[in-house]
Amino acid sequence: MTGTKLLMTFPVTATSHSLADYRARGGYRALEKALAQMKPQDVTHEVIASGLQGRGGAAFPVGRKWATVKLDDGQPHYLCCNADEGEPGTFKDRWILEHAPHLLLESMQIAAYAIGVRHSFVYIRGEFDLPYRRLAGAIEEAYQAGYFGERILGTDFACDVIVYRGAGSYVCGEASGLITSIEGKKGYPRNRPPRLSVRGLYQRPTVVNNVETLANIAGIIAHGADAFRKVGTKTSPGTRLISISGHINRPGVYEIELGYPFARFLREDCGGILGGRPLKAIIPGGVSTKVLTPADIEPLALDHAALEAAGSSLGSGGMIVIAEGTCMVHLLQVMLRFYHHESCGQCTPCRDGMGWLHRIIDRIVAGEGVPEDIERMQAISRANDGTTICGMGDAAGYATVAILDKFRDEFAYAIAHKRSRFDGRLEVSGHA
Amino acid sequence: MPEIFINGRPVQAEKNQTVMQAAVANGISIPYFCWHPQLSVPGNCRICIVEVEDEKGGNWTDIACNMPVSDGMRVLTESAAALAHRKAMLQFILLNHPVDCGICDKAGECTLQDYHYQYNGAPSVSRDAKVRATKFHPLSERIVLDNERCILCSRCVRFTHEISKSHALGIQARADHSVIRAVEDGSFEQDPYSDNVIDICPVGALLSRSFLYKARVWYLKETPSICPGCARGCSVKLWHRKPEWKLNVLDPRQNTSIARVTPLENPAVNGPWICNKGRDLARIFERPRAEQAMLKGSPVELPAAIDAARRLVGKAKRAVALVSNWGSNEELAAFKVALGERFACFVKQDCSPQPGEPIEDHLLIRADKNPNTATARKHFGDATPELHEGTDLVLVWGEGFDFGRLPRGAKVIFLHAYLQPENGHADVFLPLSIQTERRGHYTNFEGVVSAFEPCFPKKASVADAETLFAALAAPVEATA
Repeated sequence: MTGTKLLMTFPVTATSHSLADYRARGGYRALEKALAQMKPQDVTHEVIASGLQGRGGAAFPVGRKWATVKLDDGQPHYLCCNADEGEPGTFKDRWILEHAPHLLLESMQIAAYAIGVRHSFVYIRGEFDLPYRRLAGAIEEAYQAGYFGERILGTDFACDVIVYRGAGSYVCGEASGLITSIEGKKGYPRNRPPRLSVRGLYQRPTVVNNVETLANIAGIIAHGADAFRKVGTKTSPGTRLISISGHINRPGVYEIELGYPFARFLREDCGGILGGRPLKAIIPGGVSTKVLTPADIEPLALDHAALEAAGSSLGSGGMIVIAEGTCMVHLLQVMLRFYHHESCGQCTPCRDGMGWLHRIIDRIVAGEGVPEDIERMQAISRANDGTTICGMGDAAGYATVAILDKFRDEFAYAIAHKRSRFDGRLEVSGHA
Repeated sequence: MPEIFINGRPVQAEKNQTVMQAAVANGISIPYFCWHPQLSVPGNCRICIVEVEDEKGGNWTDIACNMPVSDGMRVLTESAAALAHRKAMLQFILLNHPVDCGICDKAGECTLQDYHYQYNGAPSVSRDAKVRATKFHPLSERIVLDNERCILCSRCVRFTHEISKSHALGIQARADHSVIRAVEDGSFEQDPYSDNVIDICPVGALLSRSFLYKARVWYLKETPSICPGCARGCSVKLWHRKPEWKLNVLDPRQNTSIARVTPLENPAVNGPWICNKGRDLARIFERPRAEQAMLKGSPVELPAAIDAARRLVGKAKRAVALVSNWGSNEELAAFKVALGERFACFVKQDCSPQPGEPIEDHLLIRADKNPNTATARKHFGDATPELHEGTDLVLVWGEGFDFGRLPRGAKVIFLHAYLQPENGHADVFLPLSIQTERRGHYTNFEGVVSAFEPCFPKKASVADAETLFAALAAPVEATA
């Protein structure tokens, strides 16, 4: 078992996503409590006190983000739920949307109450079919039950929710790209300043939170910040949903209490590496986080601070397990093809850098690499560090540099011998 | 007013300014491609990255065009970190750029060329093939786009959204496959300001069809002038061949023709923009010229024709003058002084809107298609011309007069610069010089006075209106 659970607390059945089942589990009581007993500022204070960090990748303190929106500035505010789960290897928000859509909706209403929102948005990944239908169904139910619209639960609080389906672009999962996309424009991320909490959607103060982040709010309000802080570690309270895939015996979505031992999670909870092979590397939080080796993770606990200290990040919680025998050159090629394809093309370093990286790695895989290619790729990655409009350029650079640094000999081998040391395979057999 | 320090030099900045604006206002150069003082800040070229000295948290870098000034801020534009970023950005920008400066119209006035020499100067470090894209994409009847040269700064896109409001351009596709395209067939054609995107393009991606391969810019010289196309009177630069680079072969007319017209920035009148009519001034100025003085269609020397005109003026009892609102302030004043008493003077509308021409809009274009109605009306009022029976002399200055309206028996003196059938019917026809052959001033509809300078020499056989009028007014016996 992976410690205390806050989200995956019920057995999934054919009806567990319905309003009736959610209410039977105590649903919408947190919203009732917030509206009846708390002022909006109290809700924000409670979230600040809980120490909840964003679950989308940057782990920014949620309460502090909310507190930057001034309640009395006389402007409309907007809340956007980022359900554009597009980080490769990540599929944990999907679990919430499919199985606990009301948990998300209740939490969104509490957040809307806290930051003075009349219209909130859910930007949902276009490829999501069942999650979209489940969410749309849940919104229908919630409107009928009076949890959305005007005079919610008999109070003066009113809030509507609008679902916007994405069209498959990766950068629309970046908060400002998402907002631009909702506005009906091409999903280009925006420069900061101004921050989105100053000028976001339609130039108004806007909070963008990830699905999992928001899903924690109902629990924090229902049971209090102290109860939330008892779970997880001091610096990273709560739990994380981890979606694990790759060369692992039991892939899927797991909820772990933050601070849970990394190696034990892989060995015991996920059943070890496919085919009993040794672990070669692990991408801990979506491909944009730096790859870790078995030696790196052996002493590690799964929490934000520990992974940061190890030079990586829990990121979006999309874990990709890589068994011994996998060709890292080919792996990097797949990653860079993705980044090249998904670069929005707005700013110079990412627009031209991603294509350049992709062409170099294609050449290495084709057996036409030259020794200086490794330095060239590192230089391109470095030139993307902190120079791009959004985080995608940096992230692609970090991921590339980490793989090049930790598996440099494999790249040198591929360049010198014009072929992969591992026959260029990404698949490993289930039977050793 | 916040005081910031750029490279140690104290600079007074305005509140709400960015570091870029403060630097430009104080003559400090930070390179930029996508930033433009009149357009929004997209921050996409990333070449303006500068370093900020921060005593607390170490130095940091960010783009100057989107960096708000704060009091006491210390900005370094030429530090090692800033220069390294600049060089890296130039490497990225040039990665897929064809570097075909040898056949590029922009060469010589290309920002990318300048910055490359200034900040990089090294050959490409890439050994991979460049991304190929469309050459000579017809963006409109007037503009072709070379997508390989394009650096996707989005200035042209923002121009159509923020200035001309045609919303005609956009960016298609993603990453290094992105291309500028007109959003739907024909919408860019209707944009009367479309050619401005050629000027604001920092590279040679947007090319004027009429100027394509016409001249290397370093063989051209620019003469400040005024567009006479409407009452706005936009300041323009007329580009023509430098005398020292005169062509001795090919068509000699190339030496005295306008190669292209670009805006001359003038905040009081047109800002940095002009409309497409202003780009096509050659169509106005290079119409077939009338260069021969005539008496009832028979060629005579200019002095003889002036003499004949003077006799007509001296004899006339009821003379009417139709004054051109294309005359300069100097010419109109000279007319007023010399002939204002002898004639009943009316201001004639030389030009009126042509079919298909935009009448008036939100930006520059005015319904009055003449450059100097303001001064002409100041001297001669705004009454409609009256040509009563019994008028014995009509002086017509400039075009736009219907000669069918002439009173019976009236003699006609016609002063005009271009070939027109009526030239041969006038009792005296005097050819005039045009705006590109003289200097002068126009006053626009808002009362702003601007100057124009000569580009080409005037032929001896044509008269300058400014001196002609005094000659027409001289007593007959004085020269007899």
